[in-house]
Amino acid sequence: MNDMPLDGIRVCDLTWIIAGPVCTRVLADFGAEVIRVEHEQALDSIRMGRPLVGETPTGNNSGFFNYISRNKKSIALNARHPDGHDVLRRLIAASDVVVENFSASVMDSWGLGYDQLREINPGIIYCSVSGFGHSGRDKEFTTWGPTAQALSGLTYMSGVPGMPSAGWGYSFMDHTAGYYAANAVMMALHHRNRTGEGQWIDMSQVEAGIVLTGPAVLDAQVNGTSWRADPGLPPGNHAWEPKVAPHNAYRAPGEDRWLAIAATNDAEWTALASIVEPHLESDPRFASNESRLEHELALDEAIGAWVAEHDAYDAMELLQGAGVPAGMCQTAGDRFERDPQLKSRDWWHVLPHPELGDCDYDGIVPKLSLAPGQMRKSSPTFGEDTADVMRDVVGMTDEEFFSLTELGVFM
Amino acid sequence: MSGPLTDLVVVEFSDQLGQLAGKLLADMGADVIKVEPPHGSAARKVGPFASAETGPERSLNFWYHNTNKRSFVADLDDPDSLAEVQALCARANLIIEDRAPGALAAYGLDYEALSASNGGLVYCSITPFGQTGPWANWKVNDLVALALGGPMMMNGYDIATYPDAPPVHGIGDQAFNTACHFAVHGIMAAVLYRDRTGKGQHIDCAMHEALSCTVEVGMPYWLYMRQDVRRQTGRHAAAVVTEKWTYTAADGRDVLVFGVGRNNSQWNSLKQWLQAAGFGHHLDEERFSDPLARQPARGTEEAKEIMATVSAFIGESSSEDVYRGAQERGLPWGVVLAPEEVIADPHWHDRGFYVQLPEETLTKPVLMPGAPYQFSATPWELRRRAPRLGEHTEEIRATLR
Repeated sequence: MNDMPLDGIRVCDLTWIIAGPVCTRVLADFGAEVIRVEHEQALDSIRMGRPLVGETPTGNNSGFFNYISRNKKSIALNARHPDGHDVLRRLIAASDVVVENFSASVMDSWGLGYDQLREINPGIIYCSVSGFGHSGRDKEFTTWGPTAQALSGLTYMSGVPGMPSAGWGYSFMDHTAGYYAANAVMMALHHRNRTGEGQWIDMSQVEAGIVLTGPAVLDAQVNGTSWRADPGLPPGNHAWEPKVAPHNAYRAPGEDRWLAIAATNDAEWTALASIVEPHLESDPRFASNESRLEHELALDEAIGAWVAEHDAYDAMELLQGAGVPAGMCQTAGDRFERDPQLKSRDWWHVLPHPELGDCDYDGIVPKLSLAPGQMRKSSPTFGEDTADVMRDVVGMTDEEFFSLTELGVFM
Repeated sequence: MSGPLTDLVVVEFSDQLGQLAGKLLADMGADVIKVEPPHGSAARKVGPFASAETGPERSLNFWYHNTNKRSFVADLDDPDSLAEVQALCARANLIIEDRAPGALAAYGLDYEALSASNGGLVYCSITPFGQTGPWANWKVNDLVALALGGPMMMNGYDIATYPDAPPVHGIGDQAFNTACHFAVHGIMAAVLYRDRTGKGQHIDCAMHEALSCTVEVGMPYWLYMRQDVRRQTGRHAAAVVTEKWTYTAADGRDVLVFGVGRNNSQWNSLKQWLQAAGFGHHLDEERFSDPLARQPARGTEEAKEIMATVSAFIGESSSEDVYRGAQERGLPWGVVLAPEEVIADPHWHDRGFYVQLPEETLTKPVLMPGAPYQFSATPWELRRRAPRLGEHTEEIRATLR
């Protein structure tokens, strides 16, 4: 096996639910040794989360857990037991990175705030991912992905005029906070490589969401634009910026089939018009982007009538063949079963799992030419690596391991 | 300069798709030189614009995504100008580009050409679909990328209430942003590899793949159940129809009700709060004490009744009171804020999150989002506003001589 970018980097992974585990999934995919510290009295609820394989949750049969915790290890450790706490400190001493996404006061209450972590391991990189960050008047408030999306403005920005907010139909900000955290950890590792200095990274999930609304914030600050007051905002599937038309999702034949089409310049418009209805090309209402915006509803009607009579995939191929941005609103099933692009890039993988059998996975983005990330193993069953990690990482003798096991430390 | 990346010298050939990747590095201390054609990056034509003036120096989108960068103007079709860019790249340790596959090879600015004499070079290509495959040269914008990648099919409305509603485009260049988040994963991973081995490499970052794996349970539901989740109004797409999450308060804003107590102590606290306001006295009945029966995703009669009570309570309350009252009781509820409203919350100012944009043409102080992460030793820093077109051409050219 080739070496990977994060070979030799050990992560003490105290994360749970989604945002933290997404961060450590990125690190694991690129080769870090990610050791999940788990405790059966405070089980990560995603281990019980749907989709489940089988009727009842076992802690090891969640498809979603398996999806976000591939390539990781798991140890069972009761860190509230005094001896367990000591074991955790020894693991931290042997790690390069600690990541957690508890509420703001939890690590301090365990005596594991950054000052204490630094005493255990002076070069440690400590990344905390919380809803509101570890400072500020509301730092004890908590978020899940949808909360962060609502409070940052992202939910409001997605919706059809005159209808309620559509928002994001999944925890976009759990993913994205995890992505920012992974980038932050790798940046801090680079700084440590140059200087030996570790540090604390304090991430707020809501702030990461606000970062994704920058142009709208500036528009409000500079121009006084109010999405609340402007009846045209949010714009639905019409373009916000850059303002171009056509720009919409059109219903195609079949159940819940939609084709997104945009013309971002006159050349794309001419190509689109010549396919949809040649007389549109010379229709003065659609001669320029400005006039197309003015007559956008008529434009949508003409394009919608054409799409309604064409298989969406065929229409997409035809339009793309002429250089027009057009794409099916694909489901996961569409991507897995049909998408020729993902297939051609070896996007899908199969790895065995002791309870789930052979499992399907998607791949690692992006592709590195010399030392790519690698799909190595399915997610760990609960506590699967406890004995190995105690021996090989913590440096425990068999004797000590057995005596701590009898004390109930590893459960 | 204080960031963790002050040793990175980056040459950026990016417009709308790739510009956030460069910002994320520049904001953490990298010297990012944006190479622009004489008429400027296409991103300068993207609104909104300051005071509706559409010139190249007035794009707020460009201002935001190009902080801390320097601008170098070059005409790649002019041999002397191209030679300057090649010299610039020879001294860089990182290239970021978002051109069509192969486009920069025509100018000798591809990875193969540049790495021949610069073995440690990390070169990241960000494209809609990657460098290879049948769709490699297909055209997309943010809308079409979100459609093909999967996120869009999960955003929208309940089919029972809005049978004709389309899947909805999540606004704000979130497809481009997601591609850039993954590009930085690859860049930082490659930089760490180079720290250890001295070797550089090429990074092929496909927005389509980045989006396809950014749909939470959407993908695993297919991988494990061969089932597609269906979008629902303002909440998660799911395999079954779930209870509403958003309820309109007396002030017209929507409140996000995310759970009604995962444990009985949170539930009792919520119940007492509702009852003190005159709602939900029947919630004392024993059948409401089972946490599973209360879960809005389970579709039980109890969940329906609880949400009806919560809805009535919220309808007569202010969104801010409900938000703070719920959070004080340990419930992760929120308010669906418009993007211009977020800045009013003093919590973010306590943390110093917003920064003032040092833009000298503005007549009043303007704030914008700052650090996505607070580093204790090497913090995020706004050193300079986005560059004017070619603002740094001369100073950079002087270092090439």
